[in-house]
Amino acid sequence: MKHLKPLNAKAELMDAANNPEAKAEVVAMQTVVGCASTTDPGWEVDAFGGVAGLCQPMEADLYGCADPCWWPAQVPDLMNSYPDWDQNAQSAGTDWRKLDAVFPKARD
Amino acid sequence: MKKANIWPALCLALVPFLPAQANEALLRHNCGACHGDPANPEAPLSRISEQRKSPEGWEMTLHRMQTIHGVQLSDPEGKSDSAGVLFQLVKYLSDTHGIAPAETAGLRYTLERRHNAVDIPEDAEYAVMCTRCHSNARVALQRRTEPEWRNLIHFHLAQFPTTEYQIGGRDREWFPIAIDRTLPKLAAAYPLQTPEWEAWQKAAKPALAGRWRVTGRMPGKGDFNGIMTAEAGDADSYSVSLVGEFSGGEPLHVDGHSVVYTGFEWRGNLETDSEHYLQVLEASADGSALSGRMFPFDHPERGIDLQARRDDGTPRLLAVSPAQLKRGSTATLTLSGSALAGAPQLGAGLKVERIVSRDADRLVVEASAAADADVGARAIVVGKASLPAALTVFDAVDRVEVSPAYTVGRVGGSEGSQPEVQGRFEAIAWANGPDGAAGTADDLRIGPVKAQWSVAPWNEKAAEDGDLRFAGTMDKDTGIFTPASAGPNPERKQGTNNAGNLKVIATVGEGEAAVRGEGQLLVTVQRWVNPPLW
Repeated sequence: MKHLKPLNAKAELMDAANNPEAKAEVVAMQTVVGCASTTDPGWEVDAFGGVAGLCQPMEADLYGCADPCWWPAQVPDLMNSYPDWDQNAQSAGTDWRKLDAVFPKARD
Repeated sequence: MKKANIWPALCLALVPFLPAQANEALLRHNCGACHGDPANPEAPLSRISEQRKSPEGWEMTLHRMQTIHGVQLSDPEGKSDSAGVLFQLVKYLSDTHGIAPAETAGLRYTLERRHNAVDIPEDAEYAVMCTRCHSNARVALQRRTEPEWRNLIHFHLAQFPTTEYQIGGRDREWFPIAIDRTLPKLAAAYPLQTPEWEAWQKAAKPALAGRWRVTGRMPGKGDFNGIMTAEAGDADSYSVSLVGEFSGGEPLHVDGHSVVYTGFEWRGNLETDSEHYLQVLEASADGSALSGRMFPFDHPERGIDLQARRDDGTPRLLAVSPAQLKRGSTATLTLSGSALAGAPQLGAGLKVERIVSRDADRLVVEASAAADADVGARAIVVGKASLPAALTVFDAVDRVEVSPAYTVGRVGGSEGSQPEVQGRFEAIAWANGPDGAAGTADDLRIGPVKAQWSVAPWNEKAAEDGDLRFAGTMDKDTGIFTPASAGPNPERKQGTNNAGNLKVIATVGEGEAAVRGEGQLLVTVQRWVNPPLW
């Protein structure tokens, strides 16, 4: 890998994220309670502590995250825990408003 | 078996109780078919007997049993619906297999839904193992036998197999590390039997009925001052009314019920005409104090930090608002407490110009500080009541801290199921102290002060992406940032969400004397998994 040089900005970011020093930074990066620090690419925050490197709009790949339970503490996983979560929202891009939370709301 | 996909709506405190022995029977009725182990008198309900958890922890376990294993909770006597059964099981399990007060020390941020807390453990390997998905407190508020911690690791891998090939998993021998290194740490740090739990089981549990004097603070609204009354009902429940106001004059009146779990975990369900609040408070062992947080059920970020002291007729001064006074200035101070009588004494260099109003709960005074009054925190006295470090006299604001220094807001609304999550900030003023240097031991914390608020792009990338335009709006007077709508935004590059990486700027003072502080706000996407413990 050391002979490969990044040719564009995205490749430079990937290269930076892949070096050992950057990895240590990723592990030590502070995030707040409830935000995943699994930063490949990250649900709330990316490996650089921002949001520009996230996969957004997240609706474009939401089920790509939910199917393999990539963020099981943030996004209901369709693999095991909530297989029917998306049953009324076949397209996340257009139906995201139909997706509900998986924990209770207050009784009226 | 058909799965129970719809979690019963909860309002736990409104459900009537059954006696304790009935709850043991109810536990066996609902859980015994899978967890019964009569051959083991030490752990008659397999797995359940080998764990201890907070009320919220047990609530999440029961939710998981329903969601994943299709458990249908029922009352064989037909007295309660499934929500009522769930409440009774949470109560019984928390009381008999709970977490002792001392075991929650330093971990209450998660119970209190303080979602801007940063809780990365020092042990980097453990942090990557456990806290890259959820809070450390979610783990540390449990106690288990060593085999039960082992089962939990196996459960994670079976339920969330991606764990092993995400970043933080695929770059190491995840399973051997989990079993050989993390498991012994968990078993040693959080064993089932502890001196703290043994002592708490034997301790007398406080009764919490009475009149409570409540003080607190809410970012964006200021200091809170109120009276809470709690009338005892059956089996650790209370009827509760809280009436108070914020320092800006906005009133707050909530009524409802609370239940005390494990002898000290006060959970209130209280309502205004339009909003449902939760109280998560910890009772002191002697029952004289409650402390914690109160927040709207749908907006945990809009919380009030609360302290309550039982009004037993003893003169007590509990808070001074505002808690700062500038040298050479005059201000109206509210001194809050109980059984307040006698003259207010503000100490040398400060003078009570006049008493604006007073009763046993509150004394409002107009106070002035001499230009040469001693700088620093000082005790305030009212008759026989005194409060150390109640008021800070200062000369000038040298620097401003934005609190929280780093937090996360979330887009929401726009007819989606998840409301937006605001960022709420305060400007904490500091003086540099006699040495004139910032960040040294003699610095003086002045406390929260009024500021003018603004936001800016955090970095070049944020500026290039137009985060400032799209991510939301900062209220210049209150420090409350309200994120923009959820969903793809066709006006943005690649139709991306209204996420943003912003610098939060607090400006205290004007002109050349203005002092600025900065924090960071990430506006990011919503989450759909919202259990009580994150």
